[in-house]
Amino acid sequence: MPSFPATISLLAIPIKFSEKQQASHYLYVRGHRVREGTKSSWPQKRTLFVLNVPPYCTEECLSRLLSPCGPVQSVELQEKPDLAETAKEPKSKFFHPKPVPGFQVAYVVFQKPGGVSAALALKGPLLVSTESHPVKSGVHKWIRDYRDSVLDPEALRVEVDTFMETYDKKMAEEEAKAQEEEGVPDEEGWVKVTRRGRRPVLPRTEAASLRVLEREKRKRARKELLNFYAWQHRETKMEHLAQLRKKFEEDKQRIELMRAQRKFRPY
Amino acid sequence: MLDIDDFTLASSPPWPQVMEPALEGTGKEGKKESSKKHTVAGSPGEGLWQPVKLSWAELYKEPTNEELNRLRETESLFHSSLLRLQVEELLKEVRLSEKKKERIDAFLREVNQRIMRVPSTPETELTDQVWLPAGVQVPLHQVPYAVKGRFRFLPPARVTVVGSYLLGTCIRPDINVDVALTMPREILQDKDGLNQRYFRKRALYLAHLAHHLAQDPLFSSVRFSYTNGCHLKPSLLLRPHGKDERLVTVRLHPCPPPDFFRPCRLLPSKNNVRSAWYRGQSPPGSGSPEPPTPHYNTWVLQDTALESHVQLLSTVLGSTLGLKDGVALLKVWLRQRELDKGLGGFSGFLVSMLVAFLVSTRKIHTTMSGYQVLRSILQFLATTDLTVNGISLCLSSDPSLVQHEARLSMVLLDSKADDGFQLLLMTPKPMIRAFDHVLHLHPLSRLQAACHRLKLWPELQDHGGDYVSATLGPLTTLLEQGLGSRLHLLAHSRPPVSEWDISQDPPKHRDSGTLTLGLLLRPEGLTSVLELGPEADQPEAADFRRFWGSRSELRRFQDGAIREAVVWEAASMAQKRLIPHQVVTHLLALHADIPDTCVHYMGGLLEALIQGLKETSSTGEEALAAVVRCYDDLSRQLWGLEGLPLTVSAVQGAHPVLRYTEVFPPAPVKPAYSFYEHLRERASLLPRPDKPCPAYVEPMTVVCHLEGSGQWPQDAEAIRRVRAAFQLRLAELLTQQHGLRCRATATHTDVLKDGFVFRIRVAYQREPQILKETRSPEGMISLRDTPASLRLERDTRQLPLLTSALHGLQQQHPAFSGVARLAKRWVRAQLLGEGLTDESLDLVAAALFLHPEPFTPPSSPQVGFLRFLFLVSTFDWKNNPLIINLNNELTVEEQVEIRSGFLATRLQLPVMVIFTPQDRKSSVWTQDGPSPQILQRLVVLAAEALPVLEKQLMDPRGPGDIRTVFRPPLDMYDVLIRLSPRHIPRHRQAVDSPAASFCRGLLSEPGSSSLMPVLGYDPPQLYLAQLREAFGDLALFFYDQHGGEVIGVLWKPSSFQPQPFKASNTKGRMVVSQVGELMMVPNVEAILEDFAILGEGLVQAVEARSERWTV
Repeated sequence: MPSFPATISLLAIPIKFSEKQQASHYLYVRGHRVREGTKSSWPQKRTLFVLNVPPYCTEECLSRLLSPCGPVQSVELQEKPDLAETAKEPKSKFFHPKPVPGFQVAYVVFQKPGGVSAALALKGPLLVSTESHPVKSGVHKWIRDYRDSVLDPEALRVEVDTFMETYDKKMAEEEAKAQEEEGVPDEEGWVKVTRRGRRPVLPRTEAASLRVLEREKRKRARKELLNFYAWQHRETKMEHLAQLRKKFEEDKQRIELMRAQRKFRPY
Repeated sequence: MLDIDDFTLASSPPWPQVMEPALEGTGKEGKKESSKKHTVAGSPGEGLWQPVKLSWAELYKEPTNEELNRLRETESLFHSSLLRLQVEELLKEVRLSEKKKERIDAFLREVNQRIMRVPSTPETELTDQVWLPAGVQVPLHQVPYAVKGRFRFLPPARVTVVGSYLLGTCIRPDINVDVALTMPREILQDKDGLNQRYFRKRALYLAHLAHHLAQDPLFSSVRFSYTNGCHLKPSLLLRPHGKDERLVTVRLHPCPPPDFFRPCRLLPSKNNVRSAWYRGQSPPGSGSPEPPTPHYNTWVLQDTALESHVQLLSTVLGSTLGLKDGVALLKVWLRQRELDKGLGGFSGFLVSMLVAFLVSTRKIHTTMSGYQVLRSILQFLATTDLTVNGISLCLSSDPSLVQHEARLSMVLLDSKADDGFQLLLMTPKPMIRAFDHVLHLHPLSRLQAACHRLKLWPELQDHGGDYVSATLGPLTTLLEQGLGSRLHLLAHSRPPVSEWDISQDPPKHRDSGTLTLGLLLRPEGLTSVLELGPEADQPEAADFRRFWGSRSELRRFQDGAIREAVVWEAASMAQKRLIPHQVVTHLLALHADIPDTCVHYMGGLLEALIQGLKETSSTGEEALAAVVRCYDDLSRQLWGLEGLPLTVSAVQGAHPVLRYTEVFPPAPVKPAYSFYEHLRERASLLPRPDKPCPAYVEPMTVVCHLEGSGQWPQDAEAIRRVRAAFQLRLAELLTQQHGLRCRATATHTDVLKDGFVFRIRVAYQREPQILKETRSPEGMISLRDTPASLRLERDTRQLPLLTSALHGLQQQHPAFSGVARLAKRWVRAQLLGEGLTDESLDLVAAALFLHPEPFTPPSSPQVGFLRFLFLVSTFDWKNNPLIINLNNELTVEEQVEIRSGFLATRLQLPVMVIFTPQDRKSSVWTQDGPSPQILQRLVVLAAEALPVLEKQLMDPRGPGDIRTVFRPPLDMYDVLIRLSPRHIPRHRQAVDSPAASFCRGLLSEPGSSSLMPVLGYDPPQLYLAQLREAFGDLALFFYDQHGGEVIGVLWKPSSFQPQPFKASNTKGRMVVSQVGELMMVPNVEAILEDFAILGEGLVQAVEARSERWTV
């Protein structure tokens, strides 16, 4: 296995599904670091960044494989590496079903910085499925997935209810806040006009503004006189001719194209 | 001086060298600019039509007189300028060039000389043919042999070119020059018109001529053929030697001297073949008159009038270009419809005569354009029933077909369709694709017996022993009467007898091709199984009994009437569609002694592919109808549901089953509990790892709309929670009020009803809009499509609309279901099912019914499927949208608008574009596929399958293995993954259905289950989803979801190119060093092992055909 130049500074660790396999995939690992100034949700020193995690390798499995290097705090598998900081919301299993895994990237957070350096010294090959810890794949996995997909409706109900409660509370707060600010000028003296005012105003949507423009245009068109002056006559005639010419030219092109495709051979 | 010269010489060369390329360059550029549009549009690589850009100055310059004239002419004489240009192009293509004409003329002069040099022979008796040299046979069946008269050969009195070549109306590709040889008067005797004497002499004349011409090196081949399929009139075909061999065929027709036969002897009512001579006995009852021989008389008459006809035509057509164009166009029209071939064909000569007739009746004017002539002729043919009002020019024997075609074409011309030209003149209409059912009579010798059975002596006498022609008329009348209201049109086709070598006997009647009948069915007549006859005491009852034989029964009807009736056994729609088969075999056996082993009926052969496992008599229409009934029941229950916060306002189906296009309709499930694991607390069944995969049950999606309300939250996440609450409530109420087993999730509620599983999805009308809303920095709310909003809109709005529209289409055209399902079956069998959505294929099938031109809407799955293949393989997907005018909602103007919109946005649209009235801009159903490669593959496969299948169906000896075109070629794939049938739940649906498969945990007795069966559990699909997710960048995966045992894998060539290292690009790759650099290449060995790991239990073997690729 050729090693990387210093600029990339990645390390390749072979990984296999089990003993039986001949060839192996390679995990590409390095310490997690970001450019100066940007924040990251993972601690700089203690996080190992892993590329090319095979689809049958789960979070638990990766945690088990890397635990010899030092106690692992968390493993997060993702489809793509994080570029910017994004707030992570806890995902509901009812509303965000697990996607089908492909090759993923992983952020492994060790409890101590020493874990990262130990991991960078790993030789492998790592085995995903061993006798002591078999990993399900194929038919067994699908059956398990199917069982997992049959969810408890009661739990769903509870989750919906709690969500709606918080949502309603949030909406009520916002409403109250808006009521409070109604008609109160800000520091520059501007007053926010809302639809809760006494006189309803146009909603600020694109569709509404387009409607207004359209109405204006129609009004203007009604006032215009057509076929009144001689030059208008002349121009409509010329326009007609131009249309015919344009059509003719288009048709000629189409014929040309059809000829190129040998569309005129009735045999 | 010299110095200077030298100097100039030395210094001047650079000039021309520089100048010349510069000039060339400018010259080329100048040319390029003028023909730029042409090269852009015409380059085959591009092949994409782009809108023109004309400069303002060009558009608005002063018109010249010439230009105005042309524009005006186009407006008055043609439909549109496009049509005019198309017609001009077509004529250019089919016309003979001047150069070729010169070569033909030279050849004709040679032929003339050779003919005149053929030596004469001494006079002999007609029956004494020993003088004929060896190596040549008389091109005529001389039955009975004995005939009076004497013959000798003399060179022809005149050799004249007749027919289309002279008139300038002959069209490519078969250029024939007809040459009339006027036999000298000395050869013929009085009464030669009698008893085939003239035809015998004509044949001997040709035989002698053939012998001498065959020795001439000028000709590459000298062969005999029949003139217009008439077996009494052979002609001699001469082809030049050398490179002109395929250029021209000269046909020699001997003819009598003018005024030799008295026309009054040849009236249709006269007899010129005596029974005493022909049958060796006088007709029974010696007092009765001899039967007339109209056909025989016409054939003689045709020969006598050859020259005068040419004179008439050349005076009429003469110098008027428009009429000649018209004749040429009509010939193309006839040729595309295969109307011009064989005995009774509508030949080019007839067309010319018809034009002449219409000129003489002033229906056509000599200043008309070719297009107008075509139109007038079609109008005339469409509106005149030639069987009733025969015109004074003789006409073909099967005018009903011509009239039918002319009518269809007129409708097409009037409809202002954009591509009328294409459909009218460029689309071939072979019989197998034009008629719903086709039947072959084979072997033809059976017809001889039929002739005897039907007592067709006079006809046989008239046709000179050609029993096929003699029986054709009576047989078609018989079948037309028997099929009655089921039949729209019955047509026959007899391919022309092929030409034969002069040393051979002419082909026997029984070898003369096949007899094929085409049935165009009337869908409304197909549903009845009853043939109602007259009341028993009426005198017509006896006729009815005689006609139907043993099938006629006396029956008492509900209104008390006792009538004769015939009842056909047919329980299912598929069997009803095949009642014509029963009728035909019964009538042919009863009246013509043709056993059913001789009738090869091609109507329902393909239907085996969409038949379910157990029933072999139904193609699933009944099963689909049962599901739809159950669904109707469910929607009524939903409407009546009490206790929902908002009442249900609409229930719409959104699943292929509910529009009758699911290939294999679902059967009610009754699981055998012991086969499954139980999840007690959820009342659900689970698959067991130690058993084979359970039966596949696909829930049918139903969209449920609720009444409008202002209470909904206006936030996307909150809406999802509220919808989930509705799903839960729905499940609860359905269980409480109707006792249905339900299972609710966040997005849908599965309901088990009568063994069918429906998946109800609650929809909120404003949700797509809320997903679309984006707020600009100024606080303006605008609507922008997002992937999520588009998906939601598609699933909850467009899909139900499409489903109901196609449901309606099925009610109008009962064959729609069969066609759509066959088409889908084929596409999936070719492993392309993933690339083309269900809906897009349904729409293409719908196009065959809504836009059948130039055909009529198909009434049988077979013909519909053939047209599907034709449409897919010939449609210009690149430059045209397929517009499907569901419910006839689009006007002509709107269609034009859609087309221009398509051209403007072509590059943003997918490769396959299908527009409907609900979807005029974006082609929703083809957005995610097919990719250009997949579409290309589909087109190629369809183009290959069509001729194979048509050949099979047109083979009179039987179709062979009809499943051939459904088996996919596997040699193109790089890796084959073989799957184990144990875990393929739909294994029995395979094209070649396995004799035995695994038990799928179903009980056969009907009844409902109280536990929810395993839903949507299809291991191959789950496996494919994993493969595509993991290796989608590297390879394409192909699979037939209906019981396929193989997954085809095709590496993407681009992904095998080594790439520089990128963090986002490592999936399944490894680093290798190449020439000192580190590059990423796919880790193929590991990937191949992954294929096996991911599909553990399902995968039997991974066959890598490593010789096909290199990393």
